[in-house]
Amino acid sequence: MFSMLQDLRYALRQLRKSPGFTVTVVLTLALGIGANAAIFTMFDQVLLRMLPVEKPKELVRPHWHGSFSGSMSAFGGDEGDYYSYPMYKDLRDKNQVFSGMLAADRTGVGVTWHNQAESKDAEMVSGNYFQVLGLRPVVGRLLTPQDDTQKNANSVVVLSYDYWKTRFGGAHDVVGQNLLINGHPFQILGVAPQNFSSAIGGYRPGVFIPISMVEIAMPWMAPRNNLENHQSLWLTVVARLKPGVSAKQAEASLGPLWHSLRAQELTLYKTVTPRFRERFLDKTYINVLDDSTGFSPGRVDLKTPLIILFSMAGLLVAMCAINVATLLLLRASARAREMSMRYALGARRSRIVAQLMLEGALLGLAGAAAGLALAPVVANALVRLMTNADPGSEPYSASIDMRVLGFTLLLSVVVSLLFSLAPVFHFLRPDLAQTLRQNAGTASKTSQRFRKLAVGVQIALSVMLLGGAGLFVRTLDNLRDQPVGFDTKNLVTFSLDPTASGYSEERTPQVVKSALDALARVPGVAIAAATTDPMLSGDSEFSGFIVQGHKPTEEESMSFEDANVTPGYFAALKQPLLVGREFTPADAKSAPLVAVVNLTFAKRFYGSAQNAIGRQIGEHDDSAKTDITIVGVAGDTKHEDLRTEIHATVFRPFAQLLHPVGVQVYLRTAQAPETAERSIRQAMHQLDPTLVVDGLRTMEEQVTRSASDARALATLAIGFSILAMLLAAVGLYGVLAYSTEQRTREIGVRLALGAQRSSVVGLVLREMLIIACVAVLVAVPSTIALARLFRSQLFGVTTYDPITLAAAIGLTAVMVMLAAALPARRAAAVEPMRALRTE
Amino acid sequence: MIELKNVERSYKTGHTETWVLRRIGLTIREGEFVTVMGPSGAGKSSLLNVLALLDDSWLGEYWFGETPVHSLNRKQRADLARQRIGMVFQSYHLLDDLTVAENIDLPLSYKNLPAKTRQGMVADILDRFQIVAKKDLFPNQLSGGQQQLVGIARAVVHAPALLLADEPTGNLHSTQAREIMELFRELNRQGTTIVQVTHSDENSRYGKRILELHDGWLTRDEAVDAPVATEAK
Repeated sequence: MFSMLQDLRYALRQLRKSPGFTVTVVLTLALGIGANAAIFTMFDQVLLRMLPVEKPKELVRPHWHGSFSGSMSAFGGDEGDYYSYPMYKDLRDKNQVFSGMLAADRTGVGVTWHNQAESKDAEMVSGNYFQVLGLRPVVGRLLTPQDDTQKNANSVVVLSYDYWKTRFGGAHDVVGQNLLINGHPFQILGVAPQNFSSAIGGYRPGVFIPISMVEIAMPWMAPRNNLENHQSLWLTVVARLKPGVSAKQAEASLGPLWHSLRAQELTLYKTVTPRFRERFLDKTYINVLDDSTGFSPGRVDLKTPLIILFSMAGLLVAMCAINVATLLLLRASARAREMSMRYALGARRSRIVAQLMLEGALLGLAGAAAGLALAPVVANALVRLMTNADPGSEPYSASIDMRVLGFTLLLSVVVSLLFSLAPVFHFLRPDLAQTLRQNAGTASKTSQRFRKLAVGVQIALSVMLLGGAGLFVRTLDNLRDQPVGFDTKNLVTFSLDPTASGYSEERTPQVVKSALDALARVPGVAIAAATTDPMLSGDSEFSGFIVQGHKPTEEESMSFEDANVTPGYFAALKQPLLVGREFTPADAKSAPLVAVVNLTFAKRFYGSAQNAIGRQIGEHDDSAKTDITIVGVAGDTKHEDLRTEIHATVFRPFAQLLHPVGVQVYLRTAQAPETAERSIRQAMHQLDPTLVVDGLRTMEEQVTRSASDARALATLAIGFSILAMLLAAVGLYGVLAYSTEQRTREIGVRLALGAQRSSVVGLVLREMLIIACVAVLVAVPSTIALARLFRSQLFGVTTYDPITLAAAIGLTAVMVMLAAALPARRAAAVEPMRALRTE
Repeated sequence: MIELKNVERSYKTGHTETWVLRRIGLTIREGEFVTVMGPSGAGKSSLLNVLALLDDSWLGEYWFGETPVHSLNRKQRADLARQRIGMVFQSYHLLDDLTVAENIDLPLSYKNLPAKTRQGMVADILDRFQIVAKKDLFPNQLSGGQQQLVGIARAVVHAPALLLADEPTGNLHSTQAREIMELFRELNRQGTTIVQVTHSDENSRYGKRILELHDGWLTRDEAVDAPVATEAK
């Protein structure tokens, strides 16, 4: 114990004695550890952290496979992730393996409290939601199955803790009071626990509403009759395993039940071909998946980018460790006499190792502390970049919690251990006689080889990180520069949902029309129009259609993008109308049904845009009527996001929508769109102060948001590459400067024997050039191989893009030359007379 | 062959200027074997560095044959040294990572000679110095005497007109030292002009002329009165 304290004191003194060295090492480690801590902060929340509920490991999620025909949630994932309400009830009530099964769906509602309206994320939940999760209220009570009975009969709501704190000031007396959800009074039952946000991973709703209130909370879903409809998949289902039941056992037990329920569902289909039957019933099965972290389609989108970023951060911290190891080795050479003296005085090897490890651990901990100070800033930027969140509404926290702290501590210990090994090996078998005889310590061949290897690895890692960053930058450029099919400049957009302010379905079209008229009068606004299917928002509305004269094959999907737009929509977006006409006010509810299709649709069914005019299509329903006439063909546009391929699209007049819903408004402005923002809000406020102008932004901003994952990857990859280059340059410089110093005598001899100074420069550079060439030879194929793993994140660029790879190599070469320039100059300036004056 | 006229050399330390060579006037004829002696700090090595053209910062005139070294630039001086001068060091200064043969080849490699010619020259010198068997060994596999032998072989491989040796036997024991000095004498006999710096009276008697320096001044210049007799082979 005493010797440990003595070692600690000595280690601290050593570090204090060389502040330059200590600061360099601590900063280097802070960069690597800080970046990792920041990425882990998000990685943990998105991919690792279990839901803060009772026994989260008991939570599972049934995921089914098989054919299906109907509508599905637009929140991502595949149809097997979603269930109809009747199917959920059947599974819940008839299974033998779950102690409880909840259902939930995300939505947005208008919440009015004390006459202040705002849009808020909400979660539609089954009455047993909180019971299955095993949660207790902070105030009041939580929902129970008795709060979720008949349709529209349960006007009750539970607040999330954060929403209660921010909007209701944490007042206990809100319990029992009413707030308005989409204009309807709902009684506040209580407040959910503090650390709980949702059973859906990464979702932060403000209110929890019983599923039975779906037609009020989600009025646009009313026509689907979601509480009865077997063909509307909209619910995420989470179950809790009975004690002692494993997921495998649950899966085996659920199989027959699932099959019988599907057989029952099949009877609801009017026409069933043998092929459909086979895929719907015979080949269907259900898996039981772990759901301890909570299902989230958003997680699927973030998973690959986060893994890429975490890998990059891993490479970065490896470079930091190598760099520190190199620095420690350089210092080791200077301490050779000290260590040899310790050995000579009888120190055991274990004592020397402990001393070195302790010094390493101190450096590692100091680096971790500095890294942790840096991490929240980086994490916050990361969360915003990757989730497009506005400040204050980030879905993930950037603060350092115990898990991040633990991870950082572990990382710093591992890194310290790794970099401490270099000096440990250096001093394990010292040549005492040789070292003590010399005036100054010299580096052993092994440590020189290690340093060369370290520099090689750093150069290789730099090339790889630069190559990766290059591919992401090219992806971002390609995404942003591709034509989207409409003019994104001078275009403002926001969402407007009159139903969220309590307007009925019948009044909604009139409110939308009045809003558009008012907006068109705002100075600077040229055209105002709206659609039910927003552009580049990440979502798409799809509906089934029938095309007159076209008999679809069994495999053929007749689901097309379905947008209801107001007159002037194509003009507002400057989406070219290729043939035919735009919608006009004459295309009213009572007028003949009309549609405009996009070029992809026209080409697919009619060969050309011209041929599409006058053709008939119809909505896929039991009537099989083709009563919609195509009156125009519009140019293709990117719709869901910048990556997704262009789909066949049917545009229909908003006025002819059977059940009108909220819209996305588009305003074409004459000047910079930002200048019109205030007037837009004023115009809407004058029209009706309860109408919420939600997510007002320019279309250019929307494009940027649409490329957010690519932007996040490119930005962070560039950041990592710059850090990597700096680290590699510092490492390179250190190694070269040291080896030049070590070779002063050799250089002196060479100069004395007639070497020209240019050849001495060549001598220094040649060594580096060989290392760099080998590093590049290793790095290039590795970059290509690694890029193949994240091919899904690339757009318009191959994994072996020669421009990117050449740029990565070129930049690395510049870095190598810059780092080598000073040592080379120093080598050339060696005076042989002085270098050789050792006698 | 060499003529120094009023050669001076000083070092500046802060405001003080320390003179290490004062008004040196000296003529060394071709084929001479000159020994420079004197106490530590007398300026012996400084004089040798001037002669070796390793030092540029001296004043005065230095004629190497018909060439006025004092009017040459740094590059021309380096060229002259490369062609005409060989250096032997007290610490041998062999490069650790090169074999004996590669060490000897080093000065040739700086002369842009064809590889074949160089190989032949190296083979000749290895043979002449009877170290053929050691050509693939590294310096740390040789004794001090053998290392100095290689150092001398390296210095004379390109047949320099002038061989400069700075305490060539300083790190060797007496038997090895004698062998090396015999070698110098032999080289001198074959026509190489030699200037050596030494503290050893015995070594000085292998030469024909002794120069003595004190505080940078040349205080003695006389022929050796009792040369060492040639060892019977």
